[in-house]
Amino acid sequence: MEQTSEPRQKTFTCQLCGLSSPFTYYGQKPPNTRAIVLLEECFVTQDPFSPDKEKFLVLGSTCSMCSLCVCVGSDCSLFYTKRFCMQCVNKHLEQFPNQIQAELAKKKQSSKAAVS
Amino acid sequence: MDSDRRRDSRSWDWDSPQCRAQLDEVFFRRHDYIQAGSTEHREFWAFFDRFQRFKTRKEMSGPGAKEDRKKTGSGKVDLGLPKEYDARYRINVSVCTLDVEERLGKSERRGSQRSSGPGSQEISDCRLALLHFLDFSQRQSFGKLAKLRREQKNLPIFQYRDRIVELVRQSPVVVVAGDTGCGKSTQVPQYLLAAGFNHIACTQPRRIACISLAKRVSFESLNQYGSKVGYQIRFETTRTPVTKLLFLTEGLLLRQIQQDRSLAQYQVLIVDEVHERHLHCDFLLGVLRSLLAENPDLRLILMSATINIKLFSDYFSRAPVLQVPGRLFPIQVIYQPIPPDEQPSRSEKLDPRPYLRILQGIDQRYPPEERGDLLMFLSGVAEISTIQEACQVLATHTRRWIVLPLHSTLSLAQQDKVFDISPPGVRKCIISTNIAETSVTIDGVRFVVDSGKVKEMSFDPKAKMQRLQEFWISRASSEQRKGRAGRTGPGVCYRLYAESDYDAFAPYPVPEIHRVALDSLILQMKSMSLGDPLSFVFIDPPPAASIQTAVTYLKEQGALDSRSELTSIGSLLAQLPVDVVIGKMLVLGSLFNLVDPVLTVAAALSVQSPFLRSAQHNPDCTTARQPLHSNHGDPFTLLNTFNAWVEVKGERGGGSRKWCRRRGLEEQRLYEMVNLRRQFKELLRSHGLLEPQSSAPSSGDRGQRRLRLTERKKLHQMKRDHEQQESSRRKVLRLEEGEEEFSSGSDTEGAGRGKKDNEAGQNVDIQEVKFKLRHNVSELQEAASVSQDMSSRQQSLLKLLLCRGLYPQLALPDDHNSTRKDSEQVFHTRNKQGVVIHPTSVFASDPEVLQVPEGDNGEMGPERRDSSRHQLLAFVTLLETNKPYLSNCVRVPALQALLLVANSVDSNADCTRLVVDSWLELELRVPEEALKVLSTALALRGEWERLLLAQLGQSTMGAEQGVSHKVLEKLSEGLVRFLLYTEITYSLRRLTAFQTQNLYIGPRPQEPAPEGNPLFPGVEAKPDPIKGGLRVTSFFTYNCLADSKDLYSECLRTFWSCPNCDLYMPLTPLERMQHEASCRPAGEQQQSEEEPEGAKAAFSSSMSSLTRVYHCDVCDEDLTLTSTEILKHKRQHMYSTK
Repeated sequence: MEQTSEPRQKTFTCQLCGLSSPFTYYGQKPPNTRAIVLLEECFVTQDPFSPDKEKFLVLGSTCSMCSLCVCVGSDCSLFYTKRFCMQCVNKHLEQFPNQIQAELAKKKQSSKAAVS
Repeated sequence: MDSDRRRDSRSWDWDSPQCRAQLDEVFFRRHDYIQAGSTEHREFWAFFDRFQRFKTRKEMSGPGAKEDRKKTGSGKVDLGLPKEYDARYRINVSVCTLDVEERLGKSERRGSQRSSGPGSQEISDCRLALLHFLDFSQRQSFGKLAKLRREQKNLPIFQYRDRIVELVRQSPVVVVAGDTGCGKSTQVPQYLLAAGFNHIACTQPRRIACISLAKRVSFESLNQYGSKVGYQIRFETTRTPVTKLLFLTEGLLLRQIQQDRSLAQYQVLIVDEVHERHLHCDFLLGVLRSLLAENPDLRLILMSATINIKLFSDYFSRAPVLQVPGRLFPIQVIYQPIPPDEQPSRSEKLDPRPYLRILQGIDQRYPPEERGDLLMFLSGVAEISTIQEACQVLATHTRRWIVLPLHSTLSLAQQDKVFDISPPGVRKCIISTNIAETSVTIDGVRFVVDSGKVKEMSFDPKAKMQRLQEFWISRASSEQRKGRAGRTGPGVCYRLYAESDYDAFAPYPVPEIHRVALDSLILQMKSMSLGDPLSFVFIDPPPAASIQTAVTYLKEQGALDSRSELTSIGSLLAQLPVDVVIGKMLVLGSLFNLVDPVLTVAAALSVQSPFLRSAQHNPDCTTARQPLHSNHGDPFTLLNTFNAWVEVKGERGGGSRKWCRRRGLEEQRLYEMVNLRRQFKELLRSHGLLEPQSSAPSSGDRGQRRLRLTERKKLHQMKRDHEQQESSRRKVLRLEEGEEEFSSGSDTEGAGRGKKDNEAGQNVDIQEVKFKLRHNVSELQEAASVSQDMSSRQQSLLKLLLCRGLYPQLALPDDHNSTRKDSEQVFHTRNKQGVVIHPTSVFASDPEVLQVPEGDNGEMGPERRDSSRHQLLAFVTLLETNKPYLSNCVRVPALQALLLVANSVDSNADCTRLVVDSWLELELRVPEEALKVLSTALALRGEWERLLLAQLGQSTMGAEQGVSHKVLEKLSEGLVRFLLYTEITYSLRRLTAFQTQNLYIGPRPQEPAPEGNPLFPGVEAKPDPIKGGLRVTSFFTYNCLADSKDLYSECLRTFWSCPNCDLYMPLTPLERMQHEASCRPAGEQQQSEEEPEGAKAAFSSSMSSLTRVYHCDVCDEDLTLTSTEILKHKRQHMYSTK
């Protein structure tokens, strides 16, 4: 079945939620983005929802503490000067500023409400 | 705060375009990630305003929670987070714009601070906003992606993903069965793509599904702006060389197989919706079944609802089946059989009471704030309008319903309304045909009312007639209808029949292949060399009689020869994706100089009528339509309409929409026509029937070309823009929607609607854009004006071509029509008596043009009515609904048309009595005239046939290549003269059944010996074994009719002088015709290639070229004689023996 002439697609998979999608670049300087610099090493793909071919989309990166591969979805990770997976955030919650703590608490509640 | 900043930054004004432009130079330069002038740039400034407002509000609400200093040094790992919270820390992007460059000393302009430029505060404000904007865009896109993945994961089929791929790898055929909502159509192709399969085709029964699936799947596979996923339908394709997954119609895949049997372009074929059992689909399965044997690498996946799965699996030697549960919410079924006193009797209208009760019941039982619409299934358009009327009365009263009809003859704008949203507290009541069972899916339906009835097309091979009849539905349809109530939440299904009725329903609907005429199918099978259609292994073979009927019909049409092999015209017809009759018209039209009008007519007859039924009762529309009408027939009206529309398009472009509305025309159909017309033209060209496109001299100079190029670019951009914003635009319905529709009885400009349409008019008319992209308007206009200025001569020739195309679909006006009312005119076809003209036809409103003018004739007996003006109708369809109706009719002069197109013309001895197709009898008064008209017709037909064959590149003459214009000119001249100036009085009537039984004399023991046939060289004139008499050409049998004059045709010898040569002698009718066929006026002889030389020679030498060796048994001698001489010679012996 191997008829692909193009390089084999690399796939990013979030180790927390399982979201997976092909990525085209890993690093801090996505191609064709000119002045953009990412502040962490990211899994990047071309933004599929933009007609502009040069727009990129960050799918995820690795947790600065535990190196888990996580997506940028707010259920899985958080960026605050560095990337933290939700597990690590919860472990060290008290070190995060109040704003973030409050936000997370609020989200937890609303998701609980949605479930029940 | 604001005033603060203003003071700080001199005259800085965030709202001023100049100030913003200065920032643009810092952040949105040509080489930046976002460029000034782009969509994102616009979005940024909109975002900026919101962001500033947000910041101001935040600052006003005080310094918030700033006391986050209480660091909890609990001795754990220090994350090294900054002490003070700043939202900026949450952004993982940085941008290197001019300000940063300057700071880093990259820019040469460093230090050259502009005095009036933005200060550092503005720059940092803008910078912050930009970072937040980038972060916001990232979140937005990622949110979409996450939602998409979540939805995919939630589909029932998701957990079978690996299993499906595994099965496809293992086995050549796999059946995937799953009910509505399981996601098979969108997901299975994606699973295969992800697994590395590369050339995947997925067929759909409907074009619209190809488009919407391609759109959805390309979105889901994150290739919305690429062409990895595409579709291909009749007029449109988005396929490119990189397309890996293609959605296409079943018919189109069949055409591709026709061209390339190996189907090497595909690795995997998915045939979706196989349970619907469409004709094409059943056939496709049969073809694929045989293809798989030749091509073991090909993978086939059948996708079906969970209906009759075993049938499909068994057909492909027990292919593995994967069954996927559907995703339906629970639906409560309520049986409410219609009480006997409300049962409609056959002739009456439907009683609306049972339907109204359900609406009222819903009003009582369910609070209006609980949303959920109602979908009713009725059998047909008449039923829909009856119930619609009654429901509308209720709706006007309660103001809780918006009543909307849904069927295929509505304008597209009206059909589209069912997708609009009703205002709060109001429910939609959609009254639909079975179109909403599969083709149209409406979300938000909670209640379904099922009448249990469906109107289905069937074909009556005996009457050669299509029939639209009402039937009980099948259990499968019933379930499908019910399922429509549970797509978005739990629902209720009211069945207007008893449970016992349900149990008595057939399990499945009758597959199409058992219901329709198989002409096109058989033709296609022949052209694919699939052998005898009777032995082809169909999944569910059609009745043999049905196949036989189709074969006979194709023979009548000249597409198959007597051995059921494709003729040259037949193999061409098989390539054309149209009905055989339409295809014939195209081929015939290409021969004469009538290509443009024929293309238009053929296209017009292949699409639904653009004339909206609803507008027929609107006097304004009727008046506006009047100039388009032609009393020559409906195809001419369509031709006029199309031409006038093209004219308007050329002059006013988008104004055509209004022009159409005023005339009650559905413009979409005209767009379809123009597309189809173009496709036909290309087909004819690719088969060498049209000259290749002349390198257009109108291409103009470079300036013009560039102008056109920029225009096209603009149009393409408009099309793309439209496609992007298309999806999410559902309007909210107004409560009066249904009322207006009903009270005005049409969808023409009512006061309220006019306004709405004007609003719509300001949007891009996407059809107009596509039209301009696809067609060259001036070229079309040229073609239109050619056919608009048609002379009466060209018109009559066009009629003849249409008639020959449509033959044997002819109808004869009843003798007594002149005494009947306009609406009660009766006609007869060969196989069906007593048919009427459809009310949409021009002849329904103007039947007089079909009647023989009074006083045109001498004698007027009840039996026999002589005239030179008898006419016949050639028609496109005969469809029985409540009555058998003819539609799309053309009138043609009877005698001339019959002689020129009929397959079987039989004569008596002096040719005064002709019988056509053992059906129509023509009696001509004067033998002299009869002979003349017959022999002219024979000669014209012979020539026509010859040229046609030459045109088809199969000339049996082998004498010349192609057809010279001069010869053609002469033929069309001859045909026109024959059609217009044949002034012969004759009677025309149908034969009774008894007369048909004793029509022919039958073979006689003493036959004239076979002889050469000068009329049609190559065809032997020989005694007809069944009819008797002498078969002169393939269609003409001389002297086979049993009547008083039949026995001694020799006695009918009369003196005759040939107008072309000096011959003057007593000849029998046959001899005379033979002479006429070979003797041409002196001037013409040179051109005629049958006569090699001695052009100017007298009678004897001209005859001598027709001599052949004849062995006379009596004399026992070989004689060189002409056919006439042979006859004479034989007669000598006859007389002498007597």
